[in-house]
Amino acid sequence: MTIRPFMGLFLGSAIAALSTGLAWAEDVTVSFLTHWPPETVAKLEAAAATYSKDHAGVKIEVRAVPFGDLLTTLRSQAGQAGGPTITGIYDLWLPELARDKLVNAAPEANSTDVTTNWPKGVATAASVGGTVYGYPNEIDVYALNYNKKLFEEAGITAAPKTWDEFFAAAEKLTNKDKGQQGFGMINSWAAGVVHPFASLLASNGGSLVVDGKPALDSENAKETFDLYEKLIKSGASVATMGTADANTTGPFLDNFVSGKTGMIIMANWWESALKAGMGERFADIATAPIPVGPKGDGPHSISYSWMTVVSEGASDAEKKAAWDFLAWFNGPNSGANGASAMGDLLQSMGILPSRTSDVAAFAERLKTPFLAGYVDVLSQAHPFPTVLGGQEFTEALQGHIEAVQFGKETAAEAAAAAQADAAAILEKAAK
Amino acid sequence: MLAPGIGLIAVFILVPMALTVALAFTKWSSQTPFSTATFIGLDNFAEIFGSSSVGRDFKGALINTALYALLSIALILPLSILFGMLIHQAQLRGANILRTILFATYMVPMIAVALVFSKLYSPSEGPFNQMLGWVGIGPQPWLSSPDTALVSVVLLNVWQQVGYFTILIIAGLTQIPPSLYDAARIDGARGLNLFGFITLPLLRRTLLFSAVIALINAVQVFEPVALITQGGPVGSTNVMTYYIRRVGIERAQGGLGSAMSVTLLLALVVTVTAVFALARREPQR
Repeated sequence: MTIRPFMGLFLGSAIAALSTGLAWAEDVTVSFLTHWPPETVAKLEAAAATYSKDHAGVKIEVRAVPFGDLLTTLRSQAGQAGGPTITGIYDLWLPELARDKLVNAAPEANSTDVTTNWPKGVATAASVGGTVYGYPNEIDVYALNYNKKLFEEAGITAAPKTWDEFFAAAEKLTNKDKGQQGFGMINSWAAGVVHPFASLLASNGGSLVVDGKPALDSENAKETFDLYEKLIKSGASVATMGTADANTTGPFLDNFVSGKTGMIIMANWWESALKAGMGERFADIATAPIPVGPKGDGPHSISYSWMTVVSEGASDAEKKAAWDFLAWFNGPNSGANGASAMGDLLQSMGILPSRTSDVAAFAERLKTPFLAGYVDVLSQAHPFPTVLGGQEFTEALQGHIEAVQFGKETAAEAAAAAQADAAAILEKAAK
Repeated sequence: MLAPGIGLIAVFILVPMALTVALAFTKWSSQTPFSTATFIGLDNFAEIFGSSSVGRDFKGALINTALYALLSIALILPLSILFGMLIHQAQLRGANILRTILFATYMVPMIAVALVFSKLYSPSEGPFNQMLGWVGIGPQPWLSSPDTALVSVVLLNVWQQVGYFTILIIAGLTQIPPSLYDAARIDGARGLNLFGFITLPLLRRTLLFSAVIALINAVQVFEPVALITQGGPVGSTNVMTYYIRRVGIERAQGGLGSAMSVTLLLALVVTVTAVFALARREPQR
């Protein structure tokens, strides 16, 4: 009698032990693991083919997995034969991946490239203890998305600027007969649940973590939980309309694109999903800053970044080829009009690039109404805290936010329990 | 002669199991060599049965897994008997077609089943809710509510597995001598009496085997949760295999993950042993 977890944990370890030291003597194959959708993967493959033309002997293979499987795939396969050489990761994961020696510190030339050509804050997010571990690429920031047509039907003339206006708008947009909710909350996707909550908290003058310690029992956080509870109890948010699947799609997306949700708080990378789902009706969607809470000093939101890292377990030849490819792919000569190929690819998804020269190259594109709303709030955004235990912390908080959404916990209970869990998780992770 | 076989079993089954048990008593990151594991006694077990977030989630996953297994068995076995008896009736037209259709569901890859069911269950545009609307029943939340999500995943499992178990039941039915039914009919038995006093008792071994296999399959449920629900909403579909992966691999807490695996193994061994013990206590006819 065997059980899969045994095999997952131990055969993986055994294979890892057996496969170390393997290297290609001549040709090098670099495997690039990503969670991007098929159309973006096709663009990445085209860029890789262009690189291979000038780099005989280097083959770039692209592997895509759902977002929900990305971290597991990296953790279970990095360094093994056939495992990823390059992986696109979320910055929250970097501290633990660096601690576990799964990612390779950037060679000096690449490190200098990153610190020179990216804004300081972005380069810092790609570093641990001052060591650069990857090439930053996308920057994501949260803002309020709303359906202008539904606003017009409800007689709302402007995007809400305060929580009071936000709640009033959510109530006006709610129409139970049409199955329409005012504000959509996500469930079943950790970042999708926590980031909008953290954005509202930031706009209420609070933060998830202060000086390395959780601050979920602050008055600012309690008021944010209260806002969620109020929206649910009033019927302006319907929890069952917010489910997401492993590909970050599902009913949450369906309800917004089909005009059954008036407002959501979402990141800029959402643009491509909205365009695909809405077609011409995408013009109905507008972007606005996060409404400000009673304790807030202005609209703030959460930002986070992604980067491409190289597996520490890859052979020396693979690492060398991987860093060289990343320098080219993220450099100003691989794309059109001074942009990088990575910048081109990110822009195709509506994602904000982070390289300074890419921001300049795409200045016009970033002025489109949807993206301009995100660019405007970026300077006032707070980076999502990247701490050891960050993923577990996020998942624990997700559980309590969802418990409020589904009426399993009151706002006060959720704040107290989330604080206790977060304190224990961060303390354990720091040991 | 036996050495190669025993050696393979030792390397691929016994050694990983022994390592799992040993690591369950250590603090170990699954990204580091075994040599980095440090002995911490029963701390991992204390944590998974304690009041921390890990403990709460683990106990929730254990309960969800038990419910999933019970519901799956409770639905699969009666349906398998029903379908098996229908198909086994020689006079039923289209029995072969029905058998093929039923078994075909078992051959469809779970990834395809999961993706299709996620659309079928869609609360706003899903065909299931549209069909319910035709008979005057309002839309159901299916996978979107913690009250119905686990049952929805069970129904998906039943749909896929029932064909396989129907084939097992048909195999069991073919082993029952027709003369027994003839004798019973001469004694006046009809319909449910034939089923209750001949069919069911003589299917006992097949049903026992089916129940154990259905239990093991149910405990190993992973794909629909990973592909559709991610354990949500509010942890309502968080099952053991999914949670062990999350802790042992995503969070790299190999010691904790091993303690969970050992607990799951023990729970399964105890349950299967109890099922066999109960079956042995049944009076021999």
